[in-house]
Amino acid sequence: MAAGAGRCCRAGLSHGALLSWALPFPVALSQAVLSRTAGGALGTPRWGRAASSSAAAVSGREGPQPREGSVRRRGRTPQFVRSAAPPRTERMAVDQDWSSVYPTAAAFRPASVPLPIRMGYPVKRGVPPPKEGNLELIKIPNFLHLTPPAIKKHCAALKDFCTEWPSALDSDEKCEQHFPIEIETVDYVSSGISIWNPKARVVTLRVKLSNLNLDDHAKKKLIKLVGERYCRETDVLTITTDRCPLRRQNYDYGMHLLTVLYHESWKTEKWESEKSEEDMEEYIWENSHSQKNALDTLLQIKTSENVSNVTKEELLASEVVKNYRNSVIALKNNSETESNMSQYKESVKKLLNIQA
Amino acid sequence: NLMGARLSGSYGDTQEPKTNPLVSISDEPETLYKRLSILIKGHDKAVLDSYEYFAVLAAKELGISVEKVDKPPKTIERFTLLKSVHIYKKHRVQYEMRTHYMCLELKYLTSSTAAVYLEYVQRNLPEGVAMEVKKTKIEKIPEHIRKPVWDTLPQVEETEVKS
Repeated sequence: MAAGAGRCCRAGLSHGALLSWALPFPVALSQAVLSRTAGGALGTPRWGRAASSSAAAVSGREGPQPREGSVRRRGRTPQFVRSAAPPRTERMAVDQDWSSVYPTAAAFRPASVPLPIRMGYPVKRGVPPPKEGNLELIKIPNFLHLTPPAIKKHCAALKDFCTEWPSALDSDEKCEQHFPIEIETVDYVSSGISIWNPKARVVTLRVKLSNLNLDDHAKKKLIKLVGERYCRETDVLTITTDRCPLRRQNYDYGMHLLTVLYHESWKTEKWESEKSEEDMEEYIWENSHSQKNALDTLLQIKTSENVSNVTKEELLASEVVKNYRNSVIALKNNSETESNMSQYKESVKKLLNIQA
Repeated sequence: NLMGARLSGSYGDTQEPKTNPLVSISDEPETLYKRLSILIKGHDKAVLDSYEYFAVLAAKELGISVEKVDKPPKTIERFTLLKSVHIYKKHRVQYEMRTHYMCLELKYLTSSTAAVYLEYVQRNLPEGVAMEVKKTKIEKIPEHIRKPVWDTLPQVEETEVKS
C-alpha cells in the first residue's frame, strides 16, 4: 500500500489528492467507480489504442477492481483515475440565459458550448475533428460572450452614461458655421511590447479662411505666409503639428501658430509697399499696361476724329472700356477658354469700333 | 386628509424618472466630435466580420449614427528567408502576413458618448486585433482670433524695420 501510494505521489494527480477532493463529493466518487467498472467491461478492446487527450476516454480505462485475473495498465496511468462528470451541455435548457454561461471573454470550453462544432483539417476520407480537445477552437478568439442579447443588455446599462448630440447641429454646414475649427487626433490600440505609439501625438488643425475675420490684404498675406498648407479649391488651411512630445502640447502649439498667423497677417510692414507685379496673386487691371494702352489708343482715336478733349475718367467709365477690362481680367485670372476668348474678341471689336 | 399628505410623497417618487446613482453630471461643456473613424486591423477575416457585427449593433443600441462600414482590401506582406542556418542558398522558405481591414465611420458624437462607446468596444477587442481611432473634434474660434490685437494696442511709433 505504501509502495503504491509512493508511486502515485510521483505522478501528476496523486491518489492522496484524489481522496481529499473526493471528500466533499462522496456520491460522485462511487458513481464514477460504477461507471468505470461498466466502462472497463465494454472498453477492453480500447486498451491497444494510444491514450487520447479527451476527458471522455478516461472511462475507457479499467476500473480499480480487476475483472479477470490481473490487468495490466499501459504507460503510467494511475490506478485510480477520476472519471469526468457528464458535460454541462446535457443539463442546459434551450431557453437558458446564455450570458450567464459566458459572461466575459473566455476560452472555448467544449463542455459548456452545446453546439456540435467541428474545426480543423479533415482526416483522410473523413470529417474535421470534433470539438473535444480541439486546439483550433481554443486558439481562435470567440465571440460567445457577445451574443446580440448580451450586447443589448450591456448597451442598456451603458445608455445612462451617454449624452445627446445637440439637435440644432444636424448637418455638416451648420457644424461648420458654429464651430469652424476642426482638430483631428488619432488613438492607437494594439497588443505588443509597449502600449504607447509615437504617432499618437500628431495633431491636425483645419479651418476655412472664410470663417476667420480677415480683410483682403490680410487674407493674401496669410496665404503667402502659410504656403503649401492652404488648399485653394476648398479654402481650407491645414496645420499639422508633431514637434512636441505630448498631444496637448501639440494642440497648444497649433493654436498658437494660428493666432500668430492671424495677427501677423493683419500687420502691414514698411517693405510690403515694394510689392511688385510678379508678387501679385491675381491680375489687377488698374495701373496696368493693358489699361494704359487702351486709354492711349482711345485718346488717339478721339483726337484724330477731332472730338473735344475727353478726360480719362470719362473713358474709364464708358461701357466699352469696362467690357474690355472684364474680358482681360477673366483671361488673365482664369484659364483661356472658348467663351473667354470670344468675349475678349467682342470687347476689342466694340472698343475699336470694328464691324467684322 | 393627513393620510393623503403623507402618501403624496411616495407617489411623487414613482412618477419621477429613476436617476442612476453611478452617473455624475458636471457643468463643463461637452466637446463635440463631428466624426469618429475606427480602423480595425486583424489577421483573420472571420474574427473581423464578427467584430463588425458587434460594433455596429453596439452603435445602434447606444443611438450613434453609423455613416458607413468600409472594408478595404487585404494587404499581404511576403518575404523569403534562407531555410538553413548555414549555407544552402538554393533552399529558401517563404512567409506571408495577411492583414485584413475594416473601417467604421460614426457621425456626431459627444465626448461622453464617444468615451462610453470607445471603452466598450476597446475592452471587447479580440486578441491579435489592432485598432486606430481618428477623432475629428469641432471647436469655436477662440477669443484671441476674433479681432486683430493691433486695434486694441496703443499706437507705438515704429522707428526701425524688424529684419
